[in-house]
Amino acid sequence: MTDQTPWDELDDDELMAALAQAVAEAGAVPDRRREAARAAFSWRTVDAELAELLHDSALDAGAAVRSGSAPGVDEPRTLSFGSGALALEVEVDGEVVMGQVVGPTPAPGAATVALQRAEGAEGGEGDEVVVEVDAAGFFRVEGVVSGPVRFVVRADGWALTSPWVVL
Amino acid sequence: MDASYPLPDLVAAAQGGDQDAWDAIVERFVPLVGAIARQHRLSEADGDDVSQTVWLRLVEHLGDLREPAALPGWIRTTTRHECLRVIAVRGRTRPADPQEDRVLDGVVDDVAGDDLVAVERRQALREALAELPAARRELLLLLLADPPVGYAEISERLGIPIGSIGPTRARALEQLRRTQALLSLRDPGEVPA
Repeated sequence: MTDQTPWDELDDDELMAALAQAVAEAGAVPDRRREAARAAFSWRTVDAELAELLHDSALDAGAAVRSGSAPGVDEPRTLSFGSGALALEVEVDGEVVMGQVVGPTPAPGAATVALQRAEGAEGGEGDEVVVEVDAAGFFRVEGVVSGPVRFVVRADGWALTSPWVVL
Repeated sequence: MDASYPLPDLVAAAQGGDQDAWDAIVERFVPLVGAIARQHRLSEADGDDVSQTVWLRLVEHLGDLREPAALPGWIRTTTRHECLRVIAVRGRTRPADPQEDRVLDGVVDDVAGDDLVAVERRQALREALAELPAARRELLLLLLADPPVGYAEISERLGIPIGSIGPTRARALEQLRRTQALLSLRDPGEVPA
């Protein structure tokens, strides 16, 4: 029996052996990972307008080659999200996230950016850090650790929600 | 509603907000997500991040999913893509020759070939198992149990005579070979998009 033997050519014992591997793989999924996947459903929102991830410098062709290691180590990673006329530009430098909201000029102090984190695969609670956007649209969040996050920009009359992305 | 329900039913129910249906979708595909992460040589922690991101993305994507049959392909593609993103963000995730700077190229080479086929075959077998009638699936799972479960106990648990366990196993495996999941992965070299 090889990995590519057609099903019909496997005898019953061989098929059972293949099944055993398949079932064992499912059994080996850590509970924390299964729980995190189930809990993801609580982030379901029926009609949230979702921005697109337009650019991620981590995926630039050759980014890993140029720096010879992780692109984020030598130069900040940049991410761009967009939805219609709205855009969110984010720069990740270690645990500091700096960004700019580009779009309908928000009144000073009127716009906020929430950095949301889902219930961790490690069992940590989901959380949200909210910062204000300055008059020029800039914001800064510190102490951002790695893992999946998303950004929600809220202002009078509009909001922008980014897709989830691993920082 | 559990993982043995047809995928279109599970997707429709999850789109309507049914947590049980969502859990069943997770149960069905979370091993595949993990297998793809392992293929990419991700650490357990990075695998957790990729897995969680895939499921969070699916929550967002669920409403737009018109064709439930496209879901497995979407999960595969999204998982592979997020694995590559994490590798790019974290840098090298395994010992590499310092002379060799082709991080991404190396990864792509790793995931090509037989590994990919084996991952898909294991997923197909799990889906085939889900297609079987409950009684036959339970028999096969008991026969596969580790540590092993004796025939006497299987007989008692399933309420079937010991003498019919062997013949039922043979019929269950014959039915397994004819499931949609195995028939659609008939060509051994075929890898779904």
